Order: sequence, then C-alpha cells, then structure tokens
Amino acid sequence: MNLNPEFQRQLQLEFSSARLVGVPLILGVIFTLTYILDDQTSHQTNITAQTALSLFLLMVSFWGARQAVDSVLDEQRSHTWDTQRLSALDPWTMVCGKLFGSTLVVWYGCVICLLVYSFMAQNTGNLFWVLSYAITSGLLVQNLSLLLSLCALRKGKINSNSVIIGLAILGALTIGSFIMPLSQASDSLQHTPATWYGVNTTVQFLTLIGVCLALFWCVVGNYRLMAQELRIRTLPWVWLAFAIFLIVYIGGFIAPNQFGEYFYSIAFGICLTLSYLIVFAEHHEPMRIKRLFTYIAQENWLRGAEELPLWCVTFILAGLLAVPLSFSHPADIEELHIYPVSILLLLLRDIGIFLFFSYGKNPQRAFSLTLLWLVLLYGVLPGIFTAADLKGMAALFFPLVADNMIISIVCMGVQIALIWYFLYQRWQESV
Amino acid sequence: MINVEQLIFEYPNLRALDEVSFHIPQGSITALVGPNGAGKTTLLRCMAALEQPVSGEIRIDGIDVLEHPRECHRIIGYLSDFFGLYDRLTVRQCLHYVARAQGIADEHCEDAIARVSNGLYINDRLDVLAGTLSRGLRQRVAIAQAIIHSPRVVLLDEPASGLDPEARHELAELFLELQKQGMTLLVSSHILAELEAYSTDMLVLREGRIIEQVAIKTATHTQDFKLTLATPVDNLVALLQSIDTLTVLKTEHNQSALLQIQGNSQQQHETLKNLLAHNLPICEFAKITNNLQDAYLETMRQRP
Repeated sequence: MNLNPEFQRQLQLEFSSARLVGVPLILGVIFTLTYILDDQTSHQTNITAQTALSLFLLMVSFWGARQAVDSVLDEQRSHTWDTQRLSALDPWTMVCGKLFGSTLVVWYGCVICLLVYSFMAQNTGNLFWVLSYAITSGLLVQNLSLLLSLCALRKGKINSNSVIIGLAILGALTIGSFIMPLSQASDSLQHTPATWYGVNTTVQFLTLIGVCLALFWCVVGNYRLMAQELRIRTLPWVWLAFAIFLIVYIGGFIAPNQFGEYFYSIAFGICLTLSYLIVFAEHHEPMRIKRLFTYIAQENWLRGAEELPLWCVTFILAGLLAVPLSFSHPADIEELHIYPVSILLLLLRDIGIFLFFSYGKNPQRAFSLTLLWLVLLYGVLPGIFTAADLKGMAALFFPLVADNMIISIVCMGVQIALIWYFLYQRWQESV
Repeated sequence: MINVEQLIFEYPNLRALDEVSFHIPQGSITALVGPNGAGKTTLLRCMAALEQPVSGEIRIDGIDVLEHPRECHRIIGYLSDFFGLYDRLTVRQCLHYVARAQGIADEHCEDAIARVSNGLYINDRLDVLAGTLSRGLRQRVAIAQAIIHSPRVVLLDEPASGLDPEARHELAELFLELQKQGMTLLVSSHILAELEAYSTDMLVLREGRIIEQVAIKTATHTQDFKLTLATPVDNLVALLQSIDTLTVLKTEHNQSALLQIQGNSQQQHETLKNLLAHNLPICEFAKITNNLQDAYLETMRQRP
C-alpha cells in the first residue's frame, strides 16, 4: 500500500505497541478512579467528565505540541533534514505526514477522553459545540506548534521546544477557559447574538468559524514554510492574501452604521500588527538583501519578488491605507494625535532597529535588544521630556505628541534617516 | 553532465565561492580536493540546491539548478558530511522510507533495498536498529540512502571518513560500479590515496576558487619514466635529447633522468631498445605512477 511515507515513518517511530496498550490502560485507571469518586459524591458534580475534558486539553496541547515540534526540529538535530529536503515528497505530503503521523498517538488518547466525556457529560445540550471546539482547537494548537517550529528552524533556533510548547499550553488554557464553562453551563451561550456584515448569527457559531479559519491559515502557512524548506520557489502573494482576508474578516464585526468611520483604521491597524509580527518571525540574513538587490539590478523581477521580505508587503499595504486615512482625520486619543503617516514611519523606524540588531554579530539577541530600545523610545525618553515640559523634544522621539502633522513627520524622518543609515552601514559590513 | 559558471556564494563577511566555473563530463568520478575551509562543502550544497548562491549558474544534466531546484533533487543523490540516520528505525525501515520518499513505488522498494544493501555489504544488517551500528556501517547505510533511487549524479561529502581500510576498498569498488552504471560522481575527501583508487578527474579548490582541474586517468599514452644509470655518463642530456620518442623532463648528476615517453607499450619498448643501443649502463627504467597526492601538492606549490 502506497501510504504517505512520512506518515508511515512517524507511525513507526511514535505508535509503538507499548503506547497502544499503555495509553488506554493509564486513562482507564484514571477514569475508574474518577468514576468511583463520582459515585461517592453528590450528583451535582461530574468529576469523570471534567477530568476527561481536562486530560484532553492537557494531551492535545502539551503532548500534541511536543510531538508536532519534534517532528520538525528533531530532523535538524539528528542531521536528517537534508535527506528530507532532497526527497521527492511535496510540501503537502510532508506537512500531513508530520502533523498527523506524529500526533496520531496523541489523538488516540484524546478520542478516548472525548468518548468518556460524551458518555459521562450531564449537560449534553452543548455536546456538539464542546466536541467541535475541542477538536478544532486541538488541531489549531498542533498546527500552530508546527508553524512555529518551522519558523524556528528557518531562524536556526532548533532548541526552541520549550518556548513553543509553553505557547501551546497558553493556547490550551485559553481554549480551556472557553470550553470548560461551556461544558458545565446550560445552553445560554447559544443564544448570544452576533452579527457579521449584517448576517445575524451566534457568538458560538462565529467563534467556531473563526477557529476553523485560523486552522485553515495555519495549514496554508505550514504548507508555504515547508515549500520554502524544500526549495520550492514562492512569491509573497499568500501573505498579501492573508492580510486582505484579515481586513475583510475583522471588518465584518464593525457595526454597519460605523463601518465607513472605522474600516480604514482597523485595516491600517491590522497591516501594522502583521508587519510587526512578520518582521519578528522572519529570518533576516544580509545575503538575502544582497540577492534581492542583485536580482533588481538584473531586472529579474520574479526572483526579486521571491527574495522580498514579507514585512514589505504589509508595509506597502499599510502605506496605501495611510493615504485615505490621513484625509479622514481620525479622532485623537487623549493627548495623542493619530497621524497615519507618522505611525507608518514609526513602524519603519522600529523595523530598522530590529534589522540593525539582526545583522549584528549576535542576531539571537535582536528581539530582546529591540524591545529594550522600543521601551526607551516609546516610554522612557518621551516621558522624561514630557515631565520636564519639553514637548518638542518628546515629539522628536514620539511624534504623535506633536501638535502638527508636518512636524511629526519631520521628527520621524530625522530618526529614520539616522537609523537606516546605521542599518545600511551594518549591512554593508556584513556582505 | 555538470556545468558550473561564475558561481558566487557568500556568508556574512566571507566569500565562500568566488566565481567558480568548471565542467564535469558524464560518467566521470571527480575528486573535489582542497584544504579545510576551501569551500568544498558549500560547493556541494549549492550543487544539491540546498543553499542559494548570490549569483552564477549550475546545470546538472541540463537542469538549471537555481531555477528548478526540485527537479534537480530528483536526479541527484547527496551524502552530507554530517549525515544522520533514524536511530530508532531498523536499516530496512530507513532504506524503505528513503526509497518511498524518493518516489519508488511500495512494490519495488524491496528490490531497491536488496540492490543497494548487496552493493554496500549491509544485507546482513537490514533488521538491526540504525542507532546500534558502528560508524563505518552507518556511513554505508547513509550512502545506500543516497543512491537508492539510482540518481544520475551522486555528490558525496567525505564519504570515507570513519571507514576502515577494508571498507574504503569496498567503497572504491562500489563507486567504480556506480560509474559503470553510468552515474557521474563528485567526491570530496581529504584522503587522497582513497580518491586515487577510483577518481578520473581532480578539481582543486582553494579559498573559494578553482585553481586546477586535471584529468588523472586519461586515454592519452604519455607516461613518465625514471631512468637510472649504474655510472654517470658525461653527455647524458645531449644523448637523451637525440632520441625522438622521448622528452627529457629532468636530469640529476648525469646519472638519473626523468623522461616522458609518448605512445603505447610497443613504443616504450622501442625507446628502451634505443637507449640500450646507445650503450647506456641502465640499471633502472621504471614507470612513474602519477599519484593524486603528488598532483595535488604540485598544484598547491605552483599556485601559492
């Protein structure tokens, strides 16, 4: 039988006969104990059902995330990644094989937990929702773990297991905080109304759709990162599509009578957030920029687009949104003036700082050093000058306190010129 | 078979490959030699489309490696210097996985496994866990993985490191067998004596530049000979130069000489007859084997 070879290999590694017997045996012992406890306590509580759900969350996040992460990072640690990269496997086969192969044993235990929960739950009104959330959220946590491990692999951080698993557990706690009350409560949440682009629905349904969409984009992200690892040439259109999707999706939650007022601001905010996220997530190597410049000089636009850092895509999109937003005069927030162009320039400055440290001798520390500088530039320095009643000086570092948009742009221009000059110097030293 | 043109690869602050250009004919076994840090591994990784150079062109069997890396992956086999195996799988499972991952249908995997395991003398270890194998056996399993899909080009980075002399000899035989099957091999190694057993060409890399590409085993019949006389002969140089079928490369103290003789064995016999006809007190007339180490060291000396 021509099974997915990666899936088959993961099964050979992870689905041992010891686990096949051990998992139901341990769960059986735990559930027997909780069943006895249930018998002895009042019928108001349902320890078995709650334990089954808690164990599900624990397994799907902690164990599942670990398995997903190891399926990628273990390859690099044991020097087998090159063999996989040179294989004829396509990215989809690799992602499915790694994800489902490595976590099948986890889902084996998880299905037992969900079956026990289904039989023992007193409130069966929300059973469909609880099971739907549990399964989709579990898949999301594991997909997200795989995504983060692929990012870590690209950045050469092959010992990032604990960080990623920590994030997965955080995700599981978030899911738990939503599912656990739902499993106990009556079905009141089903009737919480919500609208999306004027379509009347429920919060529960929208949440489930949101989780499913997040899962979809995670799978797409995994596919793209795996494709890049397998040296399949990719253009940054998926990142653009993701940004546009988020703008359209989140825009649906704006009240229809406020849509025109807030849509551009939210879209602008999404592009800024995505730019920050991707600049921190991407691997920045000076040689990539050199290749980009080489391709531009050769007028090889296709190869140039392949080398384009993804933050440029959302930055350009944010720039396009900043123009109409500048004319709509967004409302000020207390003493802060919302100047879209200045905010865009703040993003450019921050990216410059991060890249400056990324091209340094110790790029592993780029993130922490950037955070330190951002605290200084956003908080400490403007705070000191504001306290000393030197608003002009405060505006130099944080231009949103300037009363005039042109002044704020000039202040940002000075900062950007300085930081990008130093960045250029450092880049030249590196290549 | 392999054409590399103006290849440039850079690490931050270091140009690892500097306008590297060479051609490797089909069916050859090329030894890639050079000191540590010369760029051998980087060159092999670029050719395997695992690293992306700044500029240049690599063509393997007509495929533009930089434009179509995945197509290149299908026709090459690559053994990294830091290879790894799936330690918790048996050798058979490792080979089966790689065979399947290389697109071999499940029903043909056993044949492929049998073929490579016989060639690498690991057929008695197929059901042993890879993690329990010795260094030499692991190396053989890794090579088996690299060639299981019968690639047209095989790139090997230090394939003999860690192997005992017997295993090295078997490896040399395997490479010659692969060559007979029509494969083109590029082998990087520090052990020049080992490369000599099977290499047809040598590519010398230093500080990211190709400084020499020579054919070691050519079809031409030029051969170096050492001539030693029992007693010195005063006009030895003039006497030797009077013989048309040989070229004098060097003489020492009118008692020994390094000669180059054109032609086949018959012409070599004629030359020796000619030398004896001049009444030279010959006590030694021996063919000089042009070994790889000498060629390499000579290249290094000539191009400091």
